Amino acid sequence: MTQFLKKLHKWVGLLIGVQMLLWLLSGLIISLLDPVRVSGKQWASTITPEARFIDSTSLLELNELPAELFDDAVGVELTIQHDKPVYLVRRAGSETLIDASDGSIVKTTQAGAERLARQDFTGEGEIISSKPGMAPDIETRDSSGAYWRVNFSDQANTAIYISTATGRILERRNSYWRVRDFFWMLHIMDYSGRENFNNSLLISIALIAIWLGISGFWLLFSSFNRFDFFFLNIFGKSDTATITLINSGDGKPRQVNLRKGSNLFLSLATHDVNIASICGGGGECGKCRVKLMTTGLPEANDIETGLIPRHLREQGYRLACQQKVKNDMALRIPGDMLAHGQ
Amino acid sequence: MLKPAVIARTMHKWLALVIGIQVLIWLASGLYMVVVDIDFIHGDPLVKNMQEPVVVPDTPALGMAGLTARFPDATRIDLRPVMGKTFYAVTTAEKRYLVDPESGVIKSPLGEKTASEIARYHFAGEAPVINASLITSDPPMEIQTRRLPLWRVDFDDRFATSFYIDPYNGSLATRRHQYWRIFDFMWMLHIMDYEERSDAHNPLLITAQFAGLTFATSGLWLLFYSFSGRRKKRRRRVK
Repeated sequence: MTQFLKKLHKWVGLLIGVQMLLWLLSGLIISLLDPVRVSGKQWASTITPEARFIDSTSLLELNELPAELFDDAVGVELTIQHDKPVYLVRRAGSETLIDASDGSIVKTTQAGAERLARQDFTGEGEIISSKPGMAPDIETRDSSGAYWRVNFSDQANTAIYISTATGRILERRNSYWRVRDFFWMLHIMDYSGRENFNNSLLISIALIAIWLGISGFWLLFSSFNRFDFFFLNIFGKSDTATITLINSGDGKPRQVNLRKGSNLFLSLATHDVNIASICGGGGECGKCRVKLMTTGLPEANDIETGLIPRHLREQGYRLACQQKVKNDMALRIPGDMLAHGQ
Repeated sequence: MLKPAVIARTMHKWLALVIGIQVLIWLASGLYMVVVDIDFIHGDPLVKNMQEPVVVPDTPALGMAGLTARFPDATRIDLRPVMGKTFYAVTTAEKRYLVDPESGVIKSPLGEKTASEIARYHFAGEAPVINASLITSDPPMEIQTRRLPLWRVDFDDRFATSFYIDPYNGSLATRRHQYWRIFDFMWMLHIMDYEERSDAHNPLLITAQFAGLTFATSGLWLLFYSFSGRRKKRRRRVK
């Protein structure tokens, strides 16, 4: 079971490891960004202009206006815009602004849009340009219809989008929002619209990733043993065993005292005896082969059986990363290991 | 000096102990949120009659001039359909009113019976209303950001649907159901904001993400050693 999960964990890791990293990185960046800056509210005016219908006698009643103005309307609103009373007519997908004193259709001009944007923006910067556009696009994806984009010279490169039809602020965008949006795109893996987190790519990768989590969680139990927690000093004084290292080359034997129960490979490494290994003690490369010179040779486990030929196992060869320190014993380690260690 | 592979393996193991559970929670909560259709979560299949036409009153008892005279501090007057009939919804700086155009009578605040009827009118299911209560303070988590008071109307359906009706304009302010509530809970777990469930800019999350990022990096780094061992082994065999 553990061996299977280890393999699964490794291969799933290879398959989606980079996306795991991207999820964590993009998540971190998104949460580091201050949402008040991202939304542009940091620099948005909080003063709402006094909106009252003072000269109500000049208002045209709704039934005095041409009826076709209200065809398909799902909402009609008397409000103040451009400092005058207006009727805002809402339809599915479009809006119209009607001057409430003469019934004419009001559109927001470029100068009008710049004035409205200037009223709203309280940051340090002036208008540098403005241009028309059509929503939805990447920065106005929650809106629809024509807009004016008013650009400011502030450090955050603020752009305020004003609806041509209603004169209302559609969006406040800035560098903080753009950075967040880019990482949001990476986070939800919707590289075109940047808003659909129910997309099949994300669902597939998430379904694979959950196995990385489950297998990893399981492996957590098998990769720790109580000897890993000796530093907590809750198991009382620990016994040590003396391991005599014999070099298969010419080096002199050396003795080290290792804590009983600890992992042989890691314990030796902390004593500067680095047994050859590629995988770093994971039981994967089979390079940390050592010869145990002791009576009562421990049974080889599945990993060792898979990585060491039988005749060598019978001679006492085992993988250091799979062995626990038990009793005093001699250990034959390959080549010039001791010289390196000292 | 420990070898890089040993450092990577030890790091990955110990960081897993520290942050592994949260990474698993991120994966599981994220999976729920991406697998369940967001339109369903928003309750779109549970509602009907949401975009109804407004009809300009032909012979109102009260016109716009009359309304602005009666409510001199009005900032906005809406024509708004409530159960197929068009009403005036008046907004002033402090208050809101729902006015019948034909009689000029103020209908708000709407009572329990009307609120239940409105909920019923917008509910796309067949299940009966089992409870209606007016929430004036201490709102439940699911309408935390909404303006109070609101009528909460519960339906006896398998989603445990609740509709929230605004007594001052007769609108369906929002709708909630079991899967929305689970989504909200998952979102809370995902952004680790266990109180407000809305602030992803919190120090706990940021700290956990730093640990998580280091953890993932050590894992990727370790992959390099795990797989390079395999390659060399194979090459040796070929020799």
